[in-house]
Order: sequence, then structure tokens, then C-alpha cells
Amino acid sequence: MVGGLLLWPTEVPDNLRLPDLDPRAFFTSSELEEAEDYGLFTTINAVLATLAVLAVLFLYARHGERFVRESAAGRIGTGMLLGMLGFAFVWFAQLPFGLVQLWWDRRHDVSEVGYVDYAISSWFSLGGVFLFVCVAIVIVMALARLLRDEWWIPGAAVFVGLGLLFAFVSPYLVPDQSSLRNDRLEAAADRLAKQQGVPDIPVKVEDVDEFTDEPNAFAAGLGPTRRVILWNTLLDEPFSDREVRVVIAHELAHHSRDHIWKSFGFFALLAAPMALLVAVATRRRGGMYDPRAVPLALFVVIVLQIVVTPAQNVISRRLEAEADWVALETARDPHAQREVFRDLAETSLSDPDPPEWEMMLFGTHPAAIDRIAMAEAWRSRNRP
Amino acid sequence: MNDRAVRLTVLDPSLERNRWTVGFRLILAIPHFIWLAGWFSLAVLVSIAQWIATLIQGTPSPMLHRFLAAYVRYAAHVAAYLTLAADPYPGFTGRPGSYPVEVEIPEPGQQNRWVTGFRLVLAIPAVFLADALLGFGSSAAGGGYGSSGVAATAGFLGWFYCLAHGRMAEGLRNAAVYGIGYSVQAYGYLFFFTQRYPNSDPASYEFANVYRADPIRVTVDDDLRRSRLTTFFRVLLAVPHFVWLLLWGIVALFAALANGVVTVIRGTSPQGLHNFLARYVRYQIHVYAYLQMVANPFPGFTGREGTYPVDVEIEGPQPQNRWVTFFRLILAIPAFLFLGALATAAFLAAVFSWFCALFTGRVPRGLRNLGAYDLRYAAQTYGYVYLLTDRYPYSGPAAGWQMTLAPEAPPPPAAPWQQAT
Repeated sequence: MVGGLLLWPTEVPDNLRLPDLDPRAFFTSSELEEAEDYGLFTTINAVLATLAVLAVLFLYARHGERFVRESAAGRIGTGMLLGMLGFAFVWFAQLPFGLVQLWWDRRHDVSEVGYVDYAISSWFSLGGVFLFVCVAIVIVMALARLLRDEWWIPGAAVFVGLGLLFAFVSPYLVPDQSSLRNDRLEAAADRLAKQQGVPDIPVKVEDVDEFTDEPNAFAAGLGPTRRVILWNTLLDEPFSDREVRVVIAHELAHHSRDHIWKSFGFFALLAAPMALLVAVATRRRGGMYDPRAVPLALFVVIVLQIVVTPAQNVISRRLEAEADWVALETARDPHAQREVFRDLAETSLSDPDPPEWEMMLFGTHPAAIDRIAMAEAWRSRNRP
Repeated sequence: MNDRAVRLTVLDPSLERNRWTVGFRLILAIPHFIWLAGWFSLAVLVSIAQWIATLIQGTPSPMLHRFLAAYVRYAAHVAAYLTLAADPYPGFTGRPGSYPVEVEIPEPGQQNRWVTGFRLVLAIPAVFLADALLGFGSSAAGGGYGSSGVAATAGFLGWFYCLAHGRMAEGLRNAAVYGIGYSVQAYGYLFFFTQRYPNSDPASYEFANVYRADPIRVTVDDDLRRSRLTTFFRVLLAVPHFVWLLLWGIVALFAALANGVVTVIRGTSPQGLHNFLARYVRYQIHVYAYLQMVANPFPGFTGREGTYPVDVEIEGPQPQNRWVTFFRLILAIPAFLFLGALATAAFLAAVFSWFCALFTGRVPRGLRNLGAYDLRYAAQTYGYVYLLTDRYPYSGPAAGWQMTLAPEAPPPPAAPWQQAT
């Protein structure tokens, strides 16, 4: 609780009142209709995919232990096999929904990926998932061997540590990175970084236009590996240099305000109770010492993840809002900020003003209309 | 129904070779290349006619059968001559009984019209495998591989051996005969001699069913059944093993270097290093067996003996020749060349097994045993390089490993954690 209170404050003024904006003032009715249409289908598909995953993992939790006979490995090796097979079932369950979503994206020109390419690449990407699952299971089962039911105490700490390690190396895992080949933007990025007190953070461009038209940018890395990565789709029309400058300011703010560290702080607060719940839930199956408990553990982990998603989304939106605010304070360009959120919503077909329940389940970022409202609020407060 | 097999037999097991004819063998074979090319062109046209005849009558035309049989026999004679599987200069007629490596071809008989109609499509996997086993463009896919084929590689290595010793190495001869034998079966299927699908089982050759007391042996105790689920994800499920193999491999490299130094000085491997490297070799084979569909269960990560259906028995450290130890890496080059050719064929066998297992829940015995042959040779090669033995890997098929076909799948044994109270 104390940790949460320490991590909660942001630089967004407590007394900031966002104006109540009408989306129709910023988006045409056809844009709003298309976004709503696209978003509704996407949301329903995502909900159904989640339900399918839950159903599959529930069945796997009940019957998965029969796959023990497919293993000639020892205790931990068998646990790894069961963990990987669990995610293999998840892949089977998600594939039809993924293909349907791809069809929907292609229909709306959001994606250009082929169906076979999608299926094959998702199959291969399972390799990374399997590796991650195996590492997790090795840690848990090795700790369970030493500490039996108390594995969750050091286990949670180890997972946070591994998460930090992954965050540290993640910038090196992003393919096709190049420098920003725009002198004006580069100079602007340098100025913004200095203004925010992080002068050593580079801005890189990732080439993704082969796969998608969607624009995106993100902050990655920790300490010396920190960087801002822009998708090259963001550097084309309709985004102007001023808009890109605002995006860079926003991503730099994630670094300057230690959002990645804060995210891990929140994760650490959740990890221990979640690990405890997994330990308690699997006790009847012999605990995590026994590989037969792995299918049940997977189900519990996924359920817990779904349960905490609304809380995670609240935290994520709060950090994003702070990054927006810091971008306004440093770039001081509310017009460009308003335009970039308008253009982002338009190109990614996201509903600028989605219903509350949708925000609760899927809203990792504030709604576009709220971000525009923040830009307007900042303008009002800073009007000469 | 005519489903008798086309068989290759070795009538004269002599390994003696004339150095002069070995030295000039490729040049001496030039007339045969020209004759073979002409005959092949004609045989393709005749096989089309045979296909139509078999479709209409349900049985191949005896006249066309004789022509095609003579061609296949002749092609086998030339292949045996080139790969040094036999010594005498072959005749140009493909007459039965005229050459030490002989092809037994069944008389024409009734054949299923469906199997006949789709013969060319059905034969595609066999043609690819034949090409990998024989090499030098044995089929329509000829030359498509990076490898030159098992028989061709055996012939290439055998050439040097024969020039040095005046005789062919038995293992290389048997490997060449095995490769030619499969190719002959593939042609037999393609040319409507039989409707029996080519069998890649090395154990179907008499010379292969001899137990050899090699210091490194592979045992196979597998019931051919495969889980469809783990088959579908097999490559991905092996990903953690790849990582572990890599990590273990780095340590094994240093251990092998240390083992080399100590063995050159002492003349025998230290027990600890020997055991460590033996475990690593065994673990490698477990993982490859899983990956190549030679065995079904997910392997353990320890390489412990007796924990996997495809297992490697490695004898304890023995005195080793210091010169052979010192030049081990150079001496191992031919073994690695042969392993490369064999691994190409085993890779194809693994791909075909994967499809078979996915659809039927089983792998064909022939493909499984070809994979086991590759694994046995790989185990012996790695063992040779890591100085677990100074016995050179035996390149002949099947020998040195035994198969046990479990009558039915036994219930899974209780694992140690299940026995724990």
C-alpha cells in the first residue's frame, strides 16, 4: 500500500480540469462511425479470444497432467514440456481470432500482412514464448525444490529482476533500427532531451512499413540502453515534423520521469501476491514441485492477469497522461499535440471516445479525446 | 496384387579393388555415362507407355517391363561401379546375374489402378530421398541438394581408401549399396515393377543385421507411435534444448581441449572428463532423436544413460594411440563429410516422418531406422572427436545398433518425483 502511494503521484496538476469536448468537433462523422465500427468488432473479437483462452486453459488445467507420459525428462523437464504445451493450446485457441482480426485489419487497410505469413510467423514466435515459459518454470520448480510451498517469496523477486533484465536488453532485440535522418527533428529531439534532463537518450527509427501502416513510438531500455524508437510509418504523411516532435517529447518523458522503473515498481507490488496465489492454488496438486501442477498454475496465472488488467490499465493511463503533460510543458505546442492525437486516432482507427468498460478492459492509453482535452487545458492555463 | 519388393543383393562380398581401375574409375565410366543417358531418355518414354498400359490392363506390359528392368539393373551396376561398391567393369546390357551387385525385380503382376494413376505424385518423397541417398542426380531432383548423397560420398571417400589399401572399406561399401538399393526401389516403384513403396530401412539388408561391438553403440527401443500434438510443435518444443545444447557445448569444447591434452600425454582419457563428454554426446543424440522424430518423448536435460528410448552406450576410457589422438580433428574430416551426406538424408526422413506422424500418429519404421542410422553414426563421430574412443566411426548401415520393437506401449514408469513421499 505504501509502495503504491509512493509510486502514484505524477506531475499532472491535481487541479487540472479537462474540458468536456465533443469528438465531432475534431473528427468527421464518417471517421467516428468507421472508428466505432472497427473498434466494436476488434473489442468483441478480443473478448472472445480471451474467453477461448480461458476455456482452453481451464480444460488443460483439468486434463493436462496426462501429457506427463510424453516426457522422458525429469521433474523440471516435464514441467517445462507441460508449460510449453499449455501455450501451444493457447496458440491453437487464439489463431482463429487472430486470423479474423487480420481479415478485419486488412479490410480497413490497417495491416498488409498475408494470412499464411501471419500463421507461420505466429507459430515461430511461439519459440520465444516457449523459451520464456521454460525459464520461468525452471526458476519456480528449482525454488520449489528448495523451499517447497514458500517458493513464491524469492520467486516474485527473481521475476521482477528478470523483467528488469529483459527491459535492459530489449532495445537490442528491436530489429531494423536506424538513426533519425531528419536534421531538424534530430536537433529538436536533442533540445527536448536536454530540457527533460536526459541528454544522452538517442532517438532511433524502426522500419515496419513492410508489415503495417499503423504509426507507433515507444520508449525502451533502462540506464545506458535507454532510447526512443519511432516506427518509420510515423515519419510519413499525415504526420508533420511538429507532430513528430511532440511524440518524441512524450516518449522522452517516459524516460525522464522513470516510467519504466515505476511500471516495474507496480509489477513488484503485484508479483508477490500473485505468486502466493499460484502457490496456494497448486498446493492440492503437490505444489510447484510437481510438474503435474504446471497446467493449473498456467490457468491461475492467466486468470490473475485478466483480473489485474483493469488496475494495470489505470496505472498505464496515469503514466501516459503524465508523459503527455511533460510533452506539453517541454514542447509547448498544444496545437501539434492536438493534431497528433487526432491523426493517430484516425490512422489507427481507434475510437476517440470509447465507452468506460472498453477503457477498463483495453485502455492502456487515455482516450484520444481526453488527450486532446489535456492539450486544450494546458493552452488555457498558459494563455498569456 | 504385386507388392513384392525390388531388392538389391551383393553376390560377391569381396572388398578387394584394383588400384589402377579405381584410380581411373571416373574416366573409365565415360562410355557408361553416355550409354546411360541415352537409355534413360528412352526409359522415361517407355515408362509413360507402361503407365498407360498398367492403367488400362491393371498389370504392366511384360515387354516394357523387361526393357525397364534391364535399364534399372544396368543403372545399378554403373552406380555400384562408380561408388566402388563393386570392382568389375559392368556390361552394357543390364543382364541379370552379370554383376556382383544384383537387382532382384519381381515379375509383372496385378496393380491397384488408383496407386498406378497417382504413381508419379506418390513417388515424389521417395525420389527426393533416393536422390539424397544416392546422389549425383539420381532422380528428377538431381543436383538440387547441397550434399552429394550418401552413396556418392561413400564412393568419394572409398576412392582414397582403395588407393591406399587396395580394398574397399566394408562400411563405405555397405553404405553405398544401401544408397543404391533405395534408389533402385524408387525406380522400381516409378517404373511399375511393384506397387510396394520403397523401404528405407537399413535393417532390410542382410549385411546390416550384424551386431558390432563398437565402443559407442546406439540402442533404439521405440514403438513407432508419435503424439500428434508434440509432433506439430516439435521444433519449437526443442528450443530450450537448443539453448541448453549451446551452453553445454561451450563447456564441452573446453573439456574436449583438456581431454585432448591429457590423452596425448597419458595415452588415456581421464575418467571424469570422459564421463562428462559421454553425457554430452548422449544428450546431443537424445535431442536429435526427438527433433528427427526417431523417438517420441520429450528428452531430459542431463544425458543420463537409460533415460531415453534412443540411447547411446559408451564404453569407459580405453588406451588410445597418441598419434591418432594428436591428429584427431584432421582424421575426423572424412567422418564429418559422410555425416553431412547422411544427415541430409536423415533430415528428409525427419520431414517425411513429421507429416506421417501428424496424419497417422505413427512414423514408418524405415524412416525411423534411417534416422537411427544417422544418429548412430553421429554419436560415433562425436565420440571420436571428443576422444571417447579412437575407433573410427563405422559408416555402414544399421550395424552397431539394435532395435527392439515393444509389443505394446508399456505404462509410463513412475517418475522419481512421483515416488517421493
